[in-house]
Amino acid sequence: MWVAWSARTAALALLLGALHGAPTRGQEYDYYGWQAEPLHGRSYSKPPQCLDIPADLPLCHTVGYKRMRLPNLLEHESLAEVKQQASSWLPLLAKRCHSDTQVFLCSLFAPVCLDRPIYPCRSLCEAARAGCAPLMEAYGFPWPEMLHCHKFPLDNDLCIAVQFGHLPATAPPVTKICAQCEMEHSADGLMEQMCSSDFVVKMRIKEIKIDNGDRKLIGAQKKKKLLKAGPLKRKDTKKLVLHMKNGASCPCPQLDNLTGSFLVMGRKVEGQLLLTAVYRWDKKNKEMKFAVKFMFSYPCSLYYPFFYGAAEPH
Amino acid sequence: MPSLLLVVVAALLSSWAQLLTDANSWWSLALNPVQRPEMFIIGAQPVCSQLPGLSPGQRKLCQLYQEHMSYIGEGAKTGIRECQHQFRQRRWNCSTVDNTSVFGRVMQIGSRETAFTYAVSAAGVVNAISRACREGELSTCGCSRAARPKDLPRDWLWGGCGDNVEYGYRFAKEFVDAREREKNFAKGSEEQGRALMNLQNNEAGRRAVYKMADVACKCHGVSGSCSLKTCWLQLAEFRKVGDRLKEKYDSAAAMRITRQGKLELANSRFNQPTPEDLVYVDPSPDYCLRNETTGSLGTQGRLCNKTSEGMDGCELMCCGRGYDRFKSVQVERCHCRFHWCCFVRCKKCTEVVDQYVCK
Repeated sequence: MWVAWSARTAALALLLGALHGAPTRGQEYDYYGWQAEPLHGRSYSKPPQCLDIPADLPLCHTVGYKRMRLPNLLEHESLAEVKQQASSWLPLLAKRCHSDTQVFLCSLFAPVCLDRPIYPCRSLCEAARAGCAPLMEAYGFPWPEMLHCHKFPLDNDLCIAVQFGHLPATAPPVTKICAQCEMEHSADGLMEQMCSSDFVVKMRIKEIKIDNGDRKLIGAQKKKKLLKAGPLKRKDTKKLVLHMKNGASCPCPQLDNLTGSFLVMGRKVEGQLLLTAVYRWDKKNKEMKFAVKFMFSYPCSLYYPFFYGAAEPH
Repeated sequence: MPSLLLVVVAALLSSWAQLLTDANSWWSLALNPVQRPEMFIIGAQPVCSQLPGLSPGQRKLCQLYQEHMSYIGEGAKTGIRECQHQFRQRRWNCSTVDNTSVFGRVMQIGSRETAFTYAVSAAGVVNAISRACREGELSTCGCSRAARPKDLPRDWLWGGCGDNVEYGYRFAKEFVDAREREKNFAKGSEEQGRALMNLQNNEAGRRAVYKMADVACKCHGVSGSCSLKTCWLQLAEFRKVGDRLKEKYDSAAAMRITRQGKLELANSRFNQPTPEDLVYVDPSPDYCLRNETTGSLGTQGRLCNKTSEGMDGCELMCCGRGYDRFKSVQVERCHCRFHWCCFVRCKKCTEVVDQYVCK
């Protein structure tokens, strides 16, 4: 009896010792796919779905993966809502203000389908914001609350890091023209710009002042014609001061010489007039004349892009 | 002697019948999947009559509101799941024992635990029905029609599709309370006391969901700006409702039935309960040992926490009976990494951990 008990004890001790001494070892394997997320506290509600990214979601159709999670990480609950809100961001993408803009935006608008949500890393958000926020501000749009970078996780292995932003520049950078000074040449392009502007005015410019990072265009008293009034009242046009946000140190060929008249478009933001586009007035330019004449006949889209600038040539 | 035997048999039969009747509950809808409304069209009457656990009044409501039944089942399931979360570290942990009586005989005791269970189940139904209205699943209700809050900023829009918590509350009241309201009890009887307790706790659960529903807003101006903000009424996360009711459980009021047929405080030194408070009429068993009479499953075989001094600690969980220790090999994913584009790759890690189980 005693001998048997002792033997069993010894065997058990040996086994436990072996198990206890076994080092923690990792065995590599992949997994990919969609599993319904457990309802962690969420009440009865439809579980997240995994859908193909539709062709008519151009913001994300080419992002690099094909399936997205709905609701997305911005709490948009239907594809219609995603499409509507995403359309505002297409022009920013066209500006190529950062090479990872699409990766960042789509990680939220059309997040990849995996068994848990994968958020953009904070560094990805900060890189996109550093590249794109000045451009948005130039048009009077602050970096939106829904994209505030403190909402996103500090960099770790399970968030989406900067992907293309590390690539070396293929050409030496040239000083970029002011966003507000990129020019459309077609009547349609001009009318699109007029759609996204609050007001359009033909005017002369008396002088230009530098104000911190902005340029201030001081309008001349005479020879002013309000082509699209928008929020402007007659008293507003008496003394026009237009702010070119972030426009202090970039070139603007149209403003090198202040003689003659200018076609100016802008927005009114918090009591300040922001310049969104400026052209030298050219009475011989047929496209410009057409645009000015038929501005109000142009079918502006209901949710027009927040700005419309000249896309980079392809 | 033969007449005495007859009396004994009659008494036993009566007792057994009572037990069988009380063992059923609408909670069983959570464990027996309720078919989609389309299936009801084929045979409306038989399907309602076949659903287990419904009282006669609830069966009538089933016939009138067939499409609601699957959401009542969802609501009961939500309630049970939340109960099991809130009591996961307790001796009684809201275990379900079978598909018909759900929790078993332990619900016969008018205890604090029973109070919580009734409240959280009723809350689950309010939650599920309110949400189903919003999703457009029920023909008799739609988006919430709650009035615009007075303190909402003027330039915010009110009118997204809100959870219809008004309808959810009213329907849950009608359905869940039907079982209690359709019976007649002798005035001042224990049965009446128990029924009044259930009604109070059902109401407390419903009110928790109703009161915790709050305004939710979304910015959908251009470029995600808040120039266009829409708000609506939204249910609170059910975990928060569960947390609220757990607090009510901890401060539940002990009551007794008066000869006039009203519940009154067992100890008049305490505050009178409000309609949002839980009440109970019986002391709780200690849940230590398996007991067929009380329905207690006991804590033998339960995992416990050796280092904790709370209810999940081994000393309390095991009721002083002691515990066994054994080693367990746990395998889990570790060192997970997201790769562009697009998958997560993990390693598999094994770890030997000590586990403690009540004797």
